[in-house]
Amino acid sequence: MALADYQQDMETCCRCSACKFITLENVKGVENSYICPSIARYNFHGYSGGGRMGIGIALLEKELDYSDKLLEVVYNCQMCGGCDVSCKYAMDMEVFEPISEVRIACVENGKTLPVFDNMMEGFRRDGRLVPAAGTRSKNWFDGRKTKDFRQQKVDVIFHVGCRTSADPSLWKVPQSSLALMQKAGINVGIAGVEEQCCGGRAYYLGYKADFLKQAEYNMKQFTQSGARTLVTGCAECYQAFRVLYDRFGFKGNLEVLHTTEFFARLIREGKITPSKKINLNVTYHDPCYLGRLGEPWIHWKGKQIPGQIRLFDPPREFRRGSYGVYAPPRELLKSLPGLTLTEMERTREYAWCCGAGGGVKESNPDFAAWTADIRLKEAEASGAEALVTACPGCENSFTSALKGRKSSIQIYDIVELLARSTL
Amino acid sequence: MTLNKSQYAAFEDIVGQENISSDPVILYSYAWRSGLLAGATKFTPRFEAIILPASTGEVQAIVRLCNKFKLQFKASSTGWGSYSDVSGPGVVRIDLRRMNKIIEINEKNMYAVVQPYVIGAQLQAELMKRGLNCNMCGAGSNCSALPIAAHQGIGHMSQSASYGERNLLAVEWVTPEGEIVRLGSLGSSSEWFCGDGPGPSLRGIIRGNVVPLGGLGVFTAAAAKIYHWPGPASLPLDGMSPRYSPAYYPENFYIGFYSFSSMDALDEAQRLVGESEIAFQLMGFNAAMAASNIATSNEEDVKMFQEFSKYVKGPSFMISLAGNSDRDFDYKMKILAQIIEKTGGQLIPHILDDPKVASGCLWRYIRSTGSIREVFRVSGCFGGEVGQTDVFRLMADYISVSGKNKVDLINRGLAYNDGFSPFTQSFEHGHYGHGELLIRYMPNPATFRTLTQEFIKQANETAIRDHFGVPGHVFGDTSHDLYGPHVSNYHIWLRRIKKAFDPNGVSEASHYITGKE
Repeated sequence: MALADYQQDMETCCRCSACKFITLENVKGVENSYICPSIARYNFHGYSGGGRMGIGIALLEKELDYSDKLLEVVYNCQMCGGCDVSCKYAMDMEVFEPISEVRIACVENGKTLPVFDNMMEGFRRDGRLVPAAGTRSKNWFDGRKTKDFRQQKVDVIFHVGCRTSADPSLWKVPQSSLALMQKAGINVGIAGVEEQCCGGRAYYLGYKADFLKQAEYNMKQFTQSGARTLVTGCAECYQAFRVLYDRFGFKGNLEVLHTTEFFARLIREGKITPSKKINLNVTYHDPCYLGRLGEPWIHWKGKQIPGQIRLFDPPREFRRGSYGVYAPPRELLKSLPGLTLTEMERTREYAWCCGAGGGVKESNPDFAAWTADIRLKEAEASGAEALVTACPGCENSFTSALKGRKSSIQIYDIVELLARSTL
Repeated sequence: MTLNKSQYAAFEDIVGQENISSDPVILYSYAWRSGLLAGATKFTPRFEAIILPASTGEVQAIVRLCNKFKLQFKASSTGWGSYSDVSGPGVVRIDLRRMNKIIEINEKNMYAVVQPYVIGAQLQAELMKRGLNCNMCGAGSNCSALPIAAHQGIGHMSQSASYGERNLLAVEWVTPEGEIVRLGSLGSSSEWFCGDGPGPSLRGIIRGNVVPLGGLGVFTAAAAKIYHWPGPASLPLDGMSPRYSPAYYPENFYIGFYSFSSMDALDEAQRLVGESEIAFQLMGFNAAMAASNIATSNEEDVKMFQEFSKYVKGPSFMISLAGNSDRDFDYKMKILAQIIEKTGGQLIPHILDDPKVASGCLWRYIRSTGSIREVFRVSGCFGGEVGQTDVFRLMADYISVSGKNKVDLINRGLAYNDGFSPFTQSFEHGHYGHGELLIRYMPNPATFRTLTQEFIKQANETAIRDHFGVPGHVFGDTSHDLYGPHVSNYHIWLRRIKKAFDPNGVSEASHYITGKE
């Protein structure tokens, strides 16, 4: 697919502005009624889902050039998919996909941001988007008994993700995950220092060709291992393996699970049992790439039937964010003795983004922090003592935003709490 | 024409660098055409810049600069309708997005003062926490809650909560010359409110037939009348988008869908419902609109429309009741049953049998979230015939007569075949009402030409010939000049109003009336 393939979708935009707000049925007041950080921060219509449709059409109609301003608008978007959900409450049209295609078109037309070019240089060289911490004298798995899935037979591949591997402050999460898997008797393997990026972020930055190359490389490793299941604790990696790899025909029969899904399953099967009390009132933040964008890809090939209504042959089902991973993390939290879960006003498919996605953390850290700060306020208003999430990107974004802010709220990855109660 | 550097800098001094742009990327995002009556061109004509003021003072300063520079300006709030667009270059657009505060909710005197970018959903949600509610623009709760922003402001609750122009208790208005005029409660330091004071009433003058649609200065705040709400402070929802339904059916609420053997029977039923003041909402839905409201995709919509068409025989309405107590609710239900029996109405079977579907429908009605599905999902575009507010039966008849021409559009393959039933409703428990004919079509220039040059032309001829009054789709010089001579030469007076308040012609009036004779 290319931007031109989404022209009809974009032209179905009626300019209603529903993309700016959470699904209207859920609006509970003036506070927390927005879904799109970009329009909320920058205000001009062009920063909204609808405005981005207009820009996409103008590009196709050659009314606009690939200018610096275009890049500024295009990349001040977390690619969180909130606009897509709000639009598709009422409409049958793609929003997120053409927004993504505009980025791809920018890259294909040689118009890129230097910050991403630098990242991509490292990606092409090392297979990682986030440079490894220090000299790699230390790694998250040091001192732990691990298997290398490329050398040894395993049932489950545990993919940590480059963001987590590179940031020692996040290492407690994969360490906890590994310990939990081992306690459950799972035959799990990792790639250790040889683990490469999933490529998902490269795709959503617009570097599609690089993503495809990376996906091919990774799948070769996974297939050769013979493992049937891949587990990751990173929402971006999950979305890449579960959705993008499937979309582009790489995934095959590989079962892709997020740690929240995997551990919820292990609890149901009685393989691990949280038993220690955690007296904490928490709220849960749905990572965009695990929630609304984590819903499976729907393969469809066909054409629009001529006529005065948008119908397709064969019938086309739209991804509306309804089938993302929402229940397993909540199931996990509810299984922890003593813990109370209080929902924020914006949850599940209409959750506000953490601010880190779409390259914003790298290209415009102030905007990322501004977005995270809004979510932190929402979490505080819920009365929770801790904000729990299930993605290193979100955790990192919230932790950064918390610095220099008077707040007693604690930030956790869900696996940390599970490990504390179980191990 | 483009803004020169010093002009741009002068505007920038008012709103700051971040809040003005003349970059094509930003302008094209605004220039993508509305889905309302779409098809002539993909983009609306170019304009000079977009400016985002944050206060009435900033709006005033922008307007004064426009007068000084001899530039036109046009303001919009949520900017959905094509009325927000400009007709050509030389215009600065004012996006009121940053003016998004609820200034006051006065529970005792039952009014809310809002800025233009407060949307209906936000105001309603805040009001419901206080046991209050507001009329919601029928186009949807994504529209501005400012009662003078959105055309006539007719909505699903207009039966019990009136409509925009009547709910406008007070207004803060930056005139085309840059004067700030405050009418009603906004002009008083006490809690007293009155739409007509202090001083002479300007409400009717500035409002006109269908509000000035951006052509007579900028409305920067307004007080809207608000109403009693007997329901819960909030309604928790089950399910995921797009399939939400309330977790429970709210106590003492009812929604029913009835059809009648003839327009006479429906007219009588609507009159009796109004006379007894039992209805919370009353909308003359037809099978097509009910299907679009409930369905969550076009595929489902087509199936449901076929199914519903089997049950819906003749003109129909969807009614909701809201009881203030068990006894009040019982009373209203009994009265409804008597009216239905007397008028030979039939409860349309199956459609609302499932309580989840019924409560979902009820909530979509109250929150007004189904409209985008009803009019835009099919193709992203709709046009058609927008009747005026007048005696309900007159409006219903007008739509029935002019709507016959829809058959021709369908036969020529230019419009979606969703039947011919007019969509009608009465207001304020009274005889007043409104009618519309929905025409959904794939946008393209040929269809647009046929719709405007043939269908609407015929609708205009019908309205004039058969004395149906001035329809709601009448705006702009050509239309007013067509209708005016048949209706007390109102166009002359409207033009005089325009010229009196806007002697320099700076308030872009392509959807209102210009000062040009």
